[in-house]
Amino acid sequence: MSTLEIKDLHVSVTDDEKGEGQEILKGVNLSMSTGEVHAIMGPNGTGKSTLSQAIMGNSAYKVTQGDVLLDGKSILDLPVDERARLGLFLAMQYPAEIPGVTNVEFMRAAINARRDEDKQIPVMEFIKKLEAKQKILDMTDEMSERYLNEGFSGGEKKRNEILQLLMIEPKFAILDEIDSGLDIDALKVVSRGVNSMRGDNFGSLIITHYQRLLNYIVPDQVHVMMDGRIVKSGGPDLAKKLEDEGYAGLRDDLHLDVKLTDEI
Amino acid sequence: MRANLIDKYKDEVTSFSESKNEPDWYKQVRLDSLAKADELSLPKYEKINYRSWRLDRPGVINADSEIKNDNKPQADNYIYQAGNQTLSSSLDEELSDKGVILTDIFSAMNDYPELMKKYFMTKVTKAEDNKLTALNAAFLNSGIFLYVPRGVHINKSIQAMFVQDNSVDCDFVHHVLIVAEADSEVTYLENLVSTGSGYKNKANIVVEVIAADDSRVHFSALDQLSKDTTTYLSRRGCTGNNTRLDWAIGFMNDGDVIGDFGTDLLGEGSHTEAKVVAITTGDQVQGIDTKVTNYGQHTIGHILQHGVILQKSTLTFNGVGHIVKGARGSDAQQESRVLMLSRKARGDANPILLIDENDVTAGHAASVGRVNEDQMYYLMSRGIDEKTAQRLVIRGFLSSVISEIPEKDVRASLTQMIERKLINGQQ
Ligand SMILES: Nc1ncnc2c1ncn2[C@@H]1O[C@H](COP(=O)(O)OP(=O)(O)OP(=O)(O)O)[C@@H](O)[C@H]1O
Ligand SMILES: [Mg+2]
Repeated sequence: MSTLEIKDLHVSVTDDEKGEGQEILKGVNLSMSTGEVHAIMGPNGTGKSTLSQAIMGNSAYKVTQGDVLLDGKSILDLPVDERARLGLFLAMQYPAEIPGVTNVEFMRAAINARRDEDKQIPVMEFIKKLEAKQKILDMTDEMSERYLNEGFSGGEKKRNEILQLLMIEPKFAILDEIDSGLDIDALKVVSRGVNSMRGDNFGSLIITHYQRLLNYIVPDQVHVMMDGRIVKSGGPDLAKKLEDEGYAGLRDDLHLDVKLTDEI
Repeated sequence: MRANLIDKYKDEVTSFSESKNEPDWYKQVRLDSLAKADELSLPKYEKINYRSWRLDRPGVINADSEIKNDNKPQADNYIYQAGNQTLSSSLDEELSDKGVILTDIFSAMNDYPELMKKYFMTKVTKAEDNKLTALNAAFLNSGIFLYVPRGVHINKSIQAMFVQDNSVDCDFVHHVLIVAEADSEVTYLENLVSTGSGYKNKANIVVEVIAADDSRVHFSALDQLSKDTTTYLSRRGCTGNNTRLDWAIGFMNDGDVIGDFGTDLLGEGSHTEAKVVAITTGDQVQGIDTKVTNYGQHTIGHILQHGVILQKSTLTFNGVGHIVKGARGSDAQQESRVLMLSRKARGDANPILLIDENDVTAGHAASVGRVNEDQMYYLMSRGIDEKTAQRLVIRGFLSSVISEIPEKDVRASLTQMIERKLINGQQ
């Protein structure tokens, strides 16, 4: 079993225009183990993506206080690629496009990066695995032969993130709005992909705005984030409650002084 | 004062010409060009200074090289030359029956004197253009002639392999003449490589492409001359009416090289796409000047140059788009971008637009920048280390030319060349 612990995490970003640091995360605490699925919900702009980027090690996000531990060891001093090789994966809200590099080539490079020089994945083994994973996601070879995300539709990009997840098989996957922009059929397919990973050696942190996704990928815990903090945690019912009552209701219940984007 | 080139080299050039059993007319071209070389000056390119390379000082032109490595192109239609010799060549019978010619330049002078007199350094590049083109005509010691008659469409690519030899003391003075007659079509691909070591040599290479009315010519090149070879490399073409002439050039040399590329869009409605990718490493200098001139009405000239600079090297891209008066309805666009991977590297991307006609469209984009951080982050977030990620991003940046290369195995070898050069440059 592996663990991922986030302790009192404070994160700032530097605003390009103003040139000064702005605190986005204001003390996030969260612990999870492999075998578990956690969901994070919360209003726009509260820091959900910031949390995922800070865990992964995006240099635009500065950790000013607190720690992130993988299996008890701090990973904050490690560069992005080392964190990935230790078992972290982030399906991004906005994946980059890389022309000239095919999906297949990229996935093979990613898998081989985790293996010794003399133990690279044999071509046949790779192809078999790829075919099996594509099948789960209703994907064709045609897409895998294309350049990485280049010209992919929004939904295709999301599906491609999940294909990478299934190929790389990390310990912990953070899925940032993997459901946004997906039609209802694609949502089922992508959920099927994530569910196929579930087991004792895999944990996932799912960021979403819609309770609907959680009908397909049923979480063990749901956390609500507002203004840079986790303000409430609970079971799957919490997501349903939010869907019915909205964030304003929860905020008022908790007597929080937080302004929501859509309020005038 | 230095002796005139003509006085100093007249005898050598004459005896070389005789040793090759050249016809008298070409011997005369050599001597006339030699005399002209004395009067002419080196070509000038914006922001590229190469005077100290001494490309205008001829060296040995006749030496027997023993090439051992077999680099024969894997193609049905090819020609394979090393040093001064043609090692082998092959052309489908069906094509030779239709009058297609693929032969070494010396045979061409004897066997097809009328075609050679008509096209050799008369339409595109002329001996009197500058000192280096004059020296090319005077000291020529290898090359080929490819001729595609009117109405002939060749659907398989024609490949050439040229090996320049540094195991002997000998300049590589090379000329490629390609003529595509009206309504013909050809895809040509050349490899330029160095072999051997021991000597530092100069190369003077002139490629001419004459693409007549309604013809389609696709020209690709993979250049990998060694660090011991200092080179002037000119590749220029001209078009007839409604011609399409495209260039895809992978400039992966390790030595100092001047590239002088481009097209004269003479015919009405003709179109050229000139794409160049380059990588520089070590302390080498590469300067590339790609010039498209719109003479005909409704002509389209697009230039795209992408380059990567590592270590202490220098890479300069000039993109010159010139629309002459009267070329109404023409379009000149260009994009030159360089990525600098080291603080000690030097790079430049100079867009030059010369527009002498009102009723036209023209535009340019140029940049000198660094590797895209979002792309790097994305790749590294999948566990790929920084250097590998950098190479993948760069390959993407250079893909505009890679994807233009018509043959899958040649595309793969360009990708390998890029990989090799980047790995060397990352150390
Ligand atoms: N790189 C950045 N530079 C400047 N500000 C940023 C940056 N990333 C995030 N922010 C700011 O931090 C705040 C939180 O953003 P974040 O993307 O984490 O929100 P989110 O909870 O993921 O929202 P959404 O639900 O809309 O995706 C926002 O105000 C945002 O503008
Ligand atoms: Mg977000």
